[in-house]
Amino acid sequence: MKRALPIFWLLVLFTLPVWLRDPYFLHITIITAIFIIAAMSLNLLLGYTGQLSLGHVAFFGIGAYASALTSLGFDIELPGGLHIVHAPWPAIAGFPVGIVVAGLCGYMIGKLSFKVRGAYFVIVTISFAEVMRLVALNWVDLTQGPLALNNIPPYSIWLPGIGEYEIWSKVVFFYVVAAVGVACYLIIQRLVQSRIGRAMVALKDNESLAISVGIDVTRYLVLAAVMSAAMAGAAGSLYAHYVKIIDPEIFLFIYTVTMVIMVITGGKGTLAGPIVGGVIFGFLPVVVRSYVAPAVQWMIYGALMIVIVFLLPRGIVPAIEQYFLNRKQADRPPDVAVLADLDAPKS
Amino acid sequence: MQELLQHLANALLLGSTYALLGIGLTLIFGIMRVVNFTHGELYSFGAYAVFFLEAALGVNFFVAIVVAVIAGCLLGALIEFALLRPIQGADIDTTMLVMIGAWIFMQNSELLYWGGVAKSIKTPFPEAPLQLGLISVSWLRIFVLVVGSVLIVATYFFIDHTKLGKAIRATFQDHDTAALMGINIKGIYTATFALGSGLAAAAGALLGPVFLVTPTMGDIASLKAFAIVILGGLGNITGATIGGFILAFVEELGAGYVSSGYRDAMGFVIIIVILLFKPTGLFTRADRIG
Amino acid sequence: MRKLAGLLASAAILAAGAVTGANAQETIKIGVNEPLTGAFAASGNYVTNGAKIAADEINAKGGLLGKKIQLVIEDNKSNPTEAATVGEKLMVRDKVPVMLGAWGSSLTLAVMPKMMEYKVPMLVETSSSGKITKAGNPYIFRISPPSAIEAEAFGKIIDKLHIKKADFLVINNDWGLGTAQDFGAMFKKHGIKVGLVERMGESDQDMSAQLAKFKASDADTLMVTTAVDQLTLIFKQAAALGLKKNFITTGGSQNPDQLIAQAGAAVNDTKHLVFFVPWVPEATPDPAASKRFIAEWKKRGYNFAGLTESFRGYDGIRAIAAAIEKAGKADPEAIRKAFWQVDITGLNGRIKFNKEGPAGKESGQSVPTVYLIEIENGKVVIPKI
Repeated sequence: MKRALPIFWLLVLFTLPVWLRDPYFLHITIITAIFIIAAMSLNLLLGYTGQLSLGHVAFFGIGAYASALTSLGFDIELPGGLHIVHAPWPAIAGFPVGIVVAGLCGYMIGKLSFKVRGAYFVIVTISFAEVMRLVALNWVDLTQGPLALNNIPPYSIWLPGIGEYEIWSKVVFFYVVAAVGVACYLIIQRLVQSRIGRAMVALKDNESLAISVGIDVTRYLVLAAVMSAAMAGAAGSLYAHYVKIIDPEIFLFIYTVTMVIMVITGGKGTLAGPIVGGVIFGFLPVVVRSYVAPAVQWMIYGALMIVIVFLLPRGIVPAIEQYFLNRKQADRPPDVAVLADLDAPKS
Repeated sequence: MQELLQHLANALLLGSTYALLGIGLTLIFGIMRVVNFTHGELYSFGAYAVFFLEAALGVNFFVAIVVAVIAGCLLGALIEFALLRPIQGADIDTTMLVMIGAWIFMQNSELLYWGGVAKSIKTPFPEAPLQLGLISVSWLRIFVLVVGSVLIVATYFFIDHTKLGKAIRATFQDHDTAALMGINIKGIYTATFALGSGLAAAAGALLGPVFLVTPTMGDIASLKAFAIVILGGLGNITGATIGGFILAFVEELGAGYVSSGYRDAMGFVIIIVILLFKPTGLFTRADRIG
Repeated sequence: MRKLAGLLASAAILAAGAVTGANAQETIKIGVNEPLTGAFAASGNYVTNGAKIAADEINAKGGLLGKKIQLVIEDNKSNPTEAATVGEKLMVRDKVPVMLGAWGSSLTLAVMPKMMEYKVPMLVETSSSGKITKAGNPYIFRISPPSAIEAEAFGKIIDKLHIKKADFLVINNDWGLGTAQDFGAMFKKHGIKVGLVERMGESDQDMSAQLAKFKASDADTLMVTTAVDQLTLIFKQAAALGLKKNFITTGGSQNPDQLIAQAGAAVNDTKHLVFFVPWVPEATPDPAASKRFIAEWKKRGYNFAGLTESFRGYDGIRAIAAAIEKAGKADPEAIRKAFWQVDITGLNGRIKFNKEGPAGKESGQSVPTVYLIEIENGKVVIPKI
């Protein structure tokens, strides 16, 4: 059972396009999957290190812009007479560039998280994303500002026998997103189950104790921030080359909120949490949209968020785990129980 | 010279409402340790309330503003009572998430009720400005400055000289001791939240007629309020007052001489710079309120 | 755990069914991609309401090809990415054979690559950027004047206005920047100096800083390009600053009566380039149709001010209907071809598409009428020049 489950889910994931014949539904699935990757990356910070980074969309947007600009090219004049011309590169090169640039910004935020804590950290991260939005809006030479970066080319790969293949097909793109998603999942899994991950959780729960037993706080927090930002950057790159247009509103706070809702409802600090939350909040709009106005849909989101914090403060996945645990009433190995406890709200 | 004077006059008139926004948030933030994401929604609520009272019910403009502020206080009290009291003592993340949920709910209910089209509030003031030497200022903005300043002074008086104000100060300094002294902490929280919300609604009721009323007007107001609070230091009313004016001057001069596109960026740059170099705010007196 | 997996899987299938099912009634769908919220909400709602009147009128007469037409209205939130997303939704999910949209130039430009991808034509009712018809997108048919045509039309009377030097205040997007460029070029041709060109963000509300700069400038005229909400604020703030200049606005999204209602005396003695004159319906190219439209608009309780924008939606849907009729079927490619044969008289004038852009993949552009109006003592008048 334990072994079969991941294989089952992988099968579901990779056969999805076969039974999703409707191209619009596939489209929604791809967008949802991209946001799930972003939510998983946020979970690394939010769930495992306890850093409430509410500027996460900044990394997503930076990844998207870096990737799009790498493939579109740009020609800018910097103060001091410095003239930078970048000729367009193949679109696929944007993917690693997006990851690296977002990762570097993550490094900065990781360092910052030591200077400012709690509510201040939240506000700094929000401000960071807003400044990014305003830069994207006003640095017209580079980003086209409100005119949006349009006609972003699709990823192209070189296939033996076929040559240059541009990914226009939604089905093929779905597999690209799925592969990136699985890779991110495995990386996060390896990370949190390693010594590093245990150190992060220890930090979150009791920082002074963690420091006293010799955990290098700075190193782990920065590492988590960099990994998290890089993955968000990867998701941003996927988004840019799928939607093929981005504008400064990609940095809007509401997208961070979408990711936060996915993580919190699914269960922060659990591997499956962002996926469960992401599936619910990715598809809910499509279903709800047929019945109510968009404003009502968001009202439902807001209310649901409050209700979930009130009723299931740890999220859906831990609640389900708890439910199965209680039903078995068996003496399970203690580590599971302890893991679940870690997510309890600190009072 | 004329241009500079005009910029300075513009900033002065805007500063008083920024200060109101900042004072409201700094009270809530300082006393309850709640990052209040609904602050901007109370701001837009104030503006919509004036619009509704005046356009739909035909209430006098000045009466509408007073009613809007009182309604803002009541709405604030309701939010505190319904959403924050049940999770009192929860960590800052939990309360923040609840407030984000409330923010999304409030903003979209406004969108649903009023629609996305901006509303314009009529005022009894003449369009022709008051000419003061080289500069001209509109009567409406002078009214905003006067009312804003009166409210700031009134808040000071309330905090310094009333029994409830003293209790709020005591709670800010030490929750536990205040509770031991027989102060009803729960009541203080509700009162603080109501007061802060009322000030936000006042800022909205005053600025709504100057600009336009839209469902998303609160977002930027929230972020500006955060900037002001951080600039002035947590829970520091004087800091928030000065911070409000500083932000207005920086924005106006930035828009006039750097680039109008970065007007709204100034607040965030202030946040980041202050938090990196002087996290306690410019006016470090976080030990007491007032 | 397996139960849960099964449950989730069946829920997903159920959701998929809900999405793919239904939609089998016999109607001809027309996608409407307009800004119903955000910075351009006022204009987008007017255009959409105008489109609804045209659709109801056509359906009351028995519809098209024996079927009713159905507008599938989507809100692009005044945002380019959202415009592209809802455009894709209209083409992929609703399978509309033709669209109306997307109000702003940046919004329309955002939808254009998607139209190339899914091969669905769109009638552009408002956008003015020259880029739209020059991009080599054969699915674009535009009835609104690009800023170059608007500038050219204005050029015919410009000498009579005795302008010496003009500053520009434009919205920071394709619309505003294109207008500053095209009008600037026209001014230079007529020996008028171009001074400051200041921009404002789409949702900026405080323009006092820019206006303070204009106050210090020696230009006699200020050209302003943006939509009604921002214009209202500009006129109020300009009055508050005591800024006395010759104001001329462009773009046809001013809704002059709304300006009068909301900015009062501040808009007196300002001039506006508009594309429909509901104040004098007898002066429009099709007086009977104009009167009918204005009467229906009033009957529905809409704001009179909206007429200078809503006619775009009305003309747009009528042009689309003419194309569908000519095509004889609700098929994107047939409708695209049929657009070239459309020749009707709209509220703004003759709608007949000329070829523009690179050979072989031309876009359609009709030549609309441009009017200059003036506001005097709270009343709209046609200036005598």
